[in-house]
Amino acid sequence: MRRADGELILLWTLPVVGVVWLAAFLLFPGFVRPMSPTMSAEEVAAFYRDPENLPRIRYSMIVFNWFAVGLIPILALIVLQIRRMAHRTPIFSYAIIACAAGGPTIFLMANLFWLTAAFRPERDPQHIQLFNDLAWVTFSSQVGFLVAQSVILALAIYLDRQQRPVFPRWVAHFNLVVAVLMLPAAFVGLAMEGPFAWDGLLSFWVRNAAIGLWIVVMGVVLARAIAWERAEETPGP
Amino acid sequence: MTHHDDKRELWIGWWTLVVFYNLYGLLFFVIARTQPPPSPSLDAAAIAEWFDARRYGLLYGYAIVSIVGGATAIMNAMLACSIRRMSVSRAFAYSYLVIYALATLPGMLIMGVACTVGAMRPDRDPALLHWLYDFAFLSFEGTMGVFLIGSLVWMAAVLLDRNGVFPKWFGYLNLCNALTEVVVAPAWIFKRGVFAWDGAIAWWINMAVFVTYTTVFLTLLRRMIEREDFGTGPLPALATGRARELAGTPGAVR
Repeated sequence: MRRADGELILLWTLPVVGVVWLAAFLLFPGFVRPMSPTMSAEEVAAFYRDPENLPRIRYSMIVFNWFAVGLIPILALIVLQIRRMAHRTPIFSYAIIACAAGGPTIFLMANLFWLTAAFRPERDPQHIQLFNDLAWVTFSSQVGFLVAQSVILALAIYLDRQQRPVFPRWVAHFNLVVAVLMLPAAFVGLAMEGPFAWDGLLSFWVRNAAIGLWIVVMGVVLARAIAWERAEETPGP
Repeated sequence: MTHHDDKRELWIGWWTLVVFYNLYGLLFFVIARTQPPPSPSLDAAAIAEWFDARRYGLLYGYAIVSIVGGATAIMNAMLACSIRRMSVSRAFAYSYLVIYALATLPGMLIMGVACTVGAMRPDRDPALLHWLYDFAFLSFEGTMGVFLIGSLVWMAAVLLDRNGVFPKWFGYLNLCNALTEVVVAPAWIFKRGVFAWDGAIAWWINMAVFVTYTTVFLTLLRRMIEREDFGTGPLPALATGRARELAGTPGAVR
């Protein structure tokens, strides 16, 4: 019998965190129909002051504050799989650890700006708009760690030259595609309307769908890799 | 597998460092034009003009910064690997990795967010632009502890190392870098003069040390990779030509 090392418990937190993220996303009134950057300061203030919106903004962001770091254990499991790859150095596993620290912190910062905007909606509309801008720009444009995570993972998989690689090669291709889909969001500061704006097709819908898809796909391939690893291990003495 | 292939992972890390630092200079000095920094003593109207004068530079420049910022992950991993090659505890490598992973945010990305938000609405109340300006430069120049402690961790590792991964004098150069983070502290207090964030001490001397330090460690890292034998003992001296090809490549170390 294999000892209970808790990895499967960590793995099963993934669907739980995924459902919570989706629920918080749907609960936040600024996402379902994403807020436009063209809204005036008065319109932004009115959005936060709306008695229908305010509790939903607060509750969804409190939930997201709880679970923003929820995927770090999954990244840690990916780190363990990278360590099983046929590499000469631990550089890729270290790099994913660095991404695991950076990425969620960005989401947390955006979360703090949204919650601060909602804390005193009676504030001067210009101030509410400033916090709202900080939240959206942080949330949308700071894709660096997510892009790096996918690129590093892809590189690690490409360089995993062994009889049976830890992850199949298509996972590397998939990660590169995801990295490319994240790039347009970095440019939200340049567009108030259209696909690059923070409520636009590329910066909002495609990027967030790519994040969602990455979580689902990586969850499945990670589960398979772990299952294979455990099946392969010979029973202990 | 050839000898060269063995070091591919390390070269990926090294080239990422080189490309990043060149891009970093280009983005901050030429495209966004936020370096050398403007004065902290500007009034709100002058700051509104400052944002206006470089609007697209800020927006394009920091958009690219937000993408390449992620490259710091592989760079810090590379540096952590170099510490791993030393005879010191792995705690040094892990400390360095975590400290510099979180340093990217206050040390670079927050400035990008503040400048982007400032530049995207030129009609924003100048008082708020003033705050964004302060937030941008103070976070960038005034983020001290991560680089202070990070450099000291690296210094201690280099000085204690018996594998000769880096020369001992590089340990003391780390101390110089750490000291720049000490003397920049008055930038949080003074709005004019040598100690202000655009002053001779807080900016010019510090930038000179930083550029020297970065150039030196890139050179030393390159030499380290060339000397790498994937062992755990002292790193061999730089071999040349045929001798290097003939050198054995012992098994990977974890």
